[in-house]
Amino acid sequence: MNVMGIIFANDATTGVLTEKRTMASLPFAGRYRQVDFALSNLAAAGVRHVGIISRHSYQSLMNHVGSGEEWGLELGEGGLEYLTPFAQSVKDSYRGKLDSLHTAMDFLNEGAADELVVLIDSAIVSNVNMTEILNAHIASGKDVTVVTKRGICNGEKKIDLALNVADGEIKDIMVDYAASEAYTASMDIFVTSKAWLINMVESAVAHGKCHMDRDLIMNGWQTGVVSINVYEFDGVALFNESEEEYYHNTMALLDKDVRNNIFSGNHAVWTKTRDRVPCYYGENVKMENVLVADGCMLEGEVEDSVLFRQVTVEEGAEVEDCIIMNDCVIGKGAEVKYAILDKEVTVTPGAKICGTKEHPIVIKKGETV
Amino acid sequence: MYFHKKRVIAMLLAGGQGSRLHVLTRKTAKPAVPFGGKYRIIDFPLSNCVNSGIDTVGILTQYQPLELNEYIGNGQPWGLNKTNSCAQVLPPYERNDKKSGWFEGTANAIYKNIDFVDRFDPDYVVILSGDHIYKMDYNAMVEYHVANNASCTIAVRTVPLAEASRFGILNTNPDNSIYEFEEKPKVPKSTNASMGIYCFNWSVLRQALIEDEEDPNSDKDFGKNIIPKLLGEGHKMMAYNFDGYWKDVGTISSLWEANMELLGKEPEFDLRGGPNETIYARNDAHPAAYIDEDAKVSNSLIAEGCEIYGTVKHSVVSVGCTIGKGAIVEDSVVMPGVVIEEGAIVRHAILGENSKVETNAVVGGVDKNEISVTSKDAVVKANTVLAAGAML
Repeated sequence: MNVMGIIFANDATTGVLTEKRTMASLPFAGRYRQVDFALSNLAAAGVRHVGIISRHSYQSLMNHVGSGEEWGLELGEGGLEYLTPFAQSVKDSYRGKLDSLHTAMDFLNEGAADELVVLIDSAIVSNVNMTEILNAHIASGKDVTVVTKRGICNGEKKIDLALNVADGEIKDIMVDYAASEAYTASMDIFVTSKAWLINMVESAVAHGKCHMDRDLIMNGWQTGVVSINVYEFDGVALFNESEEEYYHNTMALLDKDVRNNIFSGNHAVWTKTRDRVPCYYGENVKMENVLVADGCMLEGEVEDSVLFRQVTVEEGAEVEDCIIMNDCVIGKGAEVKYAILDKEVTVTPGAKICGTKEHPIVIKKGETV
Repeated sequence: MYFHKKRVIAMLLAGGQGSRLHVLTRKTAKPAVPFGGKYRIIDFPLSNCVNSGIDTVGILTQYQPLELNEYIGNGQPWGLNKTNSCAQVLPPYERNDKKSGWFEGTANAIYKNIDFVDRFDPDYVVILSGDHIYKMDYNAMVEYHVANNASCTIAVRTVPLAEASRFGILNTNPDNSIYEFEEKPKVPKSTNASMGIYCFNWSVLRQALIEDEEDPNSDKDFGKNIIPKLLGEGHKMMAYNFDGYWKDVGTISSLWEANMELLGKEPEFDLRGGPNETIYARNDAHPAAYIDEDAKVSNSLIAEGCEIYGTVKHSVVSVGCTIGKGAIVEDSVVMPGVVIEEGAIVRHAILGENSKVETNAVVGGVDKNEISVTSKDAVVKANTVLAAGAML
């Protein structure tokens, strides 16, 4: 089976955390960036030809993914390609996914004609069995397979693409709507054949249509042009589509079942190697319910939190219900509660930061409090 | 294939059995023995090479090489897989001349790989071994060697006089040139102990290796044969003083001690370091470590991929270990993938890779002079005792 992957890096929706980076390069779960999960989902299924579509702020993304070595993509043939906008069209270069796929047509045309294409976003974190999804797609004989998750639609959260599926049949499709529990939410993972996708993208763009969920999936289904197979994923899917969701989903990783499913449900999760030393826990450290990445120096108290690499928590400092990203320093006697500290934040000794569970405080990269 | 000339290459002797590590090297070569939570012993000389700007390393393997060869792979973790760099594993091989067959000594191992070294046409060859924990700038030693116009330079460290008779001792003139080498002298004349790290002019070493092969009485060993031979021939040989941390981890107790010396806020040996002091290792895909609300952790190193529900005190816990509820781990080295089940107690022990201590089992005791050891994949059955100093 020839398979190529296309990862969408953008759709920045998590406020200041994605001011200067893509959703794909948003740090997640202590030692990863969100794109690692998409890349690992593809790598575990042996996909050796991947394009990453990115519109802006892709410096941190390219720095992280590099040549794709960690995901087996440093190859002479196929391998990894960055599909960034052409220089002359920087301003609002893509209006939708179909538009961006249209500009990536050269990439799509590469390789074997009989390839399948996996389209996958970086904002929804999961550990899926892509081989099984690909096989299900082939067996279905449908034009496109949409991977979905039940339990996300709750009548409150606005869902990009929600499908009402009963008795194996699609009853309704809605776009950008707070669909009810009866609906299953798209995980922004699609499988199609390459020939079909190229054809549909060219035709859609020629008709001035650029929105994948609305123009291709929903309208296509309504008009009977597109046949859809729904693959319902039964593992954990973390929709990190807002700051609050990002915070809540990070904290969910402290649950063993969620953690096991995300990190080893179907395969390992690979990330860029940083040769950090194992974490050092000091003499009087107090740790309760914490995820800790390598390179930390911990001497204070940390509870119900996730610490990224190379974080320092000095003596007498208290950290509770926090996400602390790489290279932050929490000074002696400082108190940090319900907060997200972006990379390289320094909390000076004795300082206090206190958010609430519903609205955690976010401190920008590199700031000193 | 085209080979660039290299000014310096390194040859790393990694074929020794390491029999004094007993069960830990039953299935594994000593250089592949895990160390410090996420490393293996060979990471230290390999990383030192990279940090010293030496990008061509021949690694001589012989004893139980499977795991070691797998670990080194193409040298990617150390950045040695690029154009014009390499980490080349050199196992013994068969051919129809004297260079055929097993390595019969440290010098013989290099002799049998003269062809490999010749391809790079190096001016200097640094000889290293895969059983020491230290950070050292080999380039500084090479520059010292060149500046002194020496044929051979040997790294030395000062040892207590009382211990000097356990080492190869170098007696030097005031200018640090060597006039005498004594292997384990009964009455040592100095405290300059050889670290087994040599820098040679390749032309001199090449000739000495060929001549030594002709000597039927030679043990084909650097310390016993090559060094005394070159001294006897009147070559200029220099001692290069090194005063940083250096530890031979060739015994159970020294391996345990070296791990313990990584602990503390300002440890005797700090794995952290400046820009040119990173120790590189092959990294597995493990998530961040999880420390449960009932866990108690103090003065310990815990690597990624661990799940800690019990108590860990003054210990090194390597990648991918699980320590169950109510379990106690103290003064111990827990190698990668170990599972310690609920209620088990582990004290003064080294637990080999993927070994398992089942529910309520007890390993080791209170005496730090009696280290208990489990071998790779061993299982200490539930409710049983592995006594202090015992091996399984």
